[in-house]
Amino acid sequence: MSDGLLMHSLAWVAGSDAPERNVLNIGYMPLSDCASVVVAATQGFAQPYGLTLNLKRQASWAGINDKLISGELDAAHSLYGMIYAIQLGISGAAATDMAVLMGLNQNGQSINLSQPLKEAGVTSASALQQRAHQSGTKLTFAQTFPTGTHAMWLYYWLASQGIHPLQDVNSVVVPPPQMLAHLEAGRIDGFCVGEPWCANAVEHGQGFTLTTSQAIWPDHPEKVLACTREFVEQNPNTARALVMSVLEASRFIEESHENRRSTAQLLSSSEYLDAPLSSVEPRLLGEYSDGLGNQWHDANALRFHNNGAANFPYLSDGMWFLTQFRRWGLLRQDPDYLAVTCQVQQTELYSAAATALDIPVPNAAMRTSRLLDGSVWDGTDPAGYARSFNLHALNDH
Amino acid sequence: MLRILLINDTSKKVGRLRTALSEAGFEVIDESGLTIDLPARVEAVRPDVVLIDTESPSRDVMEQVVLVTRDQPRPIVMFTDEHDPGVMRQAIKSGVSAYIVEGIHAQRLQPIMDVAMARFESDQVLRSQLHARDQQLAERKRVELAKGMLMKMKDCSEEEAYTLMRRQAMSKQQKLIQVAEQIIAMTELLG
Repeated sequence: MSDGLLMHSLAWVAGSDAPERNVLNIGYMPLSDCASVVVAATQGFAQPYGLTLNLKRQASWAGINDKLISGELDAAHSLYGMIYAIQLGISGAAATDMAVLMGLNQNGQSINLSQPLKEAGVTSASALQQRAHQSGTKLTFAQTFPTGTHAMWLYYWLASQGIHPLQDVNSVVVPPPQMLAHLEAGRIDGFCVGEPWCANAVEHGQGFTLTTSQAIWPDHPEKVLACTREFVEQNPNTARALVMSVLEASRFIEESHENRRSTAQLLSSSEYLDAPLSSVEPRLLGEYSDGLGNQWHDANALRFHNNGAANFPYLSDGMWFLTQFRRWGLLRQDPDYLAVTCQVQQTELYSAAATALDIPVPNAAMRTSRLLDGSVWDGTDPAGYARSFNLHALNDH
Repeated sequence: MLRILLINDTSKKVGRLRTALSEAGFEVIDESGLTIDLPARVEAVRPDVVLIDTESPSRDVMEQVVLVTRDQPRPIVMFTDEHDPGVMRQAIKSGVSAYIVEGIHAQRLQPIMDVAMARFESDQVLRSQLHARDQQLAERKRVELAKGMLMKMKDCSEEEAYTLMRRQAMSKQQKLIQVAEQIIAMTELLG
């Protein structure tokens, strides 16, 4: 931190830009991608803005869902899709206006299969497709929240392999840290979850990683820092200061290999992830080992900052989840895709925060992505995109 | 039902409040004179509200109120005959949530309690915000001090010093402030 920035921060605390609130309760799930929130709260990134961030570890996404709405949590490390489900009233709670303050990460989730499937030779997409279409017991896959990112990656990937996620297999919800226990007990045959829980299962000899989320969509949106819209409206300075703290922390994590390694050490603590460093560190550094003997350095591994590209709340990123809700019948009608997204994504607030830190802000609020099945998503025709898939559960015709 | 700790600081043996409180349907769980350790009494009795009946609040009363507000914060209602605005200000400053000068009527007690509770809650929020800001400032000063020591020791820039401290903290699964304290302690030891 330079002297200039320090002076600036002091002025910030004292002047009219002072945060309306000084202490915030920030929820997070024990996952590697909560790193920038934990680093911001513990490594002195928030104090210069007059903020104290109290970290509140949560046991399930449903808990974060409820506590964000009740106000018990002021903001939280959240699943992209979950925030849109709350906005639209399909998360199991009454519709509440929500705000995505910034992206926390891209990439870094995986789909794992169980040890019994591995032993039965189901170690490829084609073998899984064959197994899923055999008569007999349906396979059961776990994800972490019905409208969350993991459900969407799992559904998207299965469908891209010709497996209908809502007809050919069963799907259940399991909180991330409990995946391994459910796998060991034989209650599930596979799962999609964030790290370190996939690496941890491989390390325990419980199955293997079949594919990664970045293989489905390189540099896909994943977790966001979210709160209710009411919170942003009542505390605009606090929200901006919070975004600046977390942005600075995310930049710090990626400044060097050493910083990434010490981030992994901090996260593995019993206070945060409570997972062995050997499960946390390798995939955080992009070193993958799938449990089938393959090892590689992943060019699209977990990304916290990428000079702001991982943090900008692209409209097209938020909107993608709406198209998938529509595709899988979670929404019975097309929402006003653009209007809903513009309300939720706090692009102005983010841009002000990023600009103050000399972090580049993209020129356009939409980006173009190509997913593994060749489909291109650029945010221009969401209703058409939602209808463009062979496998779906559109229930309006 | 609200649990009330009643303090009788008047010359009368039986205070004027007990009857009015009972009539208004409150539970008086303890009635004491002021020759007690009020914070300890609050700790033991755990009342929802502390009610002080006093002809004129003395220095001793104010001190006891300050101590309760610091260590065992509770809504404190003071009934008194003292009209002096200076005394009233002093009482509010000490932590009294409601200062009532006029006579006591049972039917007025409930709204008085409600006001005191609401006032107390908003005071608590302000107090905790102020406390948090003091603590933030104190922590920042300690981190700045340690950073300066490290810059001198390692002959490095401010940014490098921060990075070194943060890396050390993270790899030891600690907070930045903990490493700052260690640097300060070590520097003092080595003189």
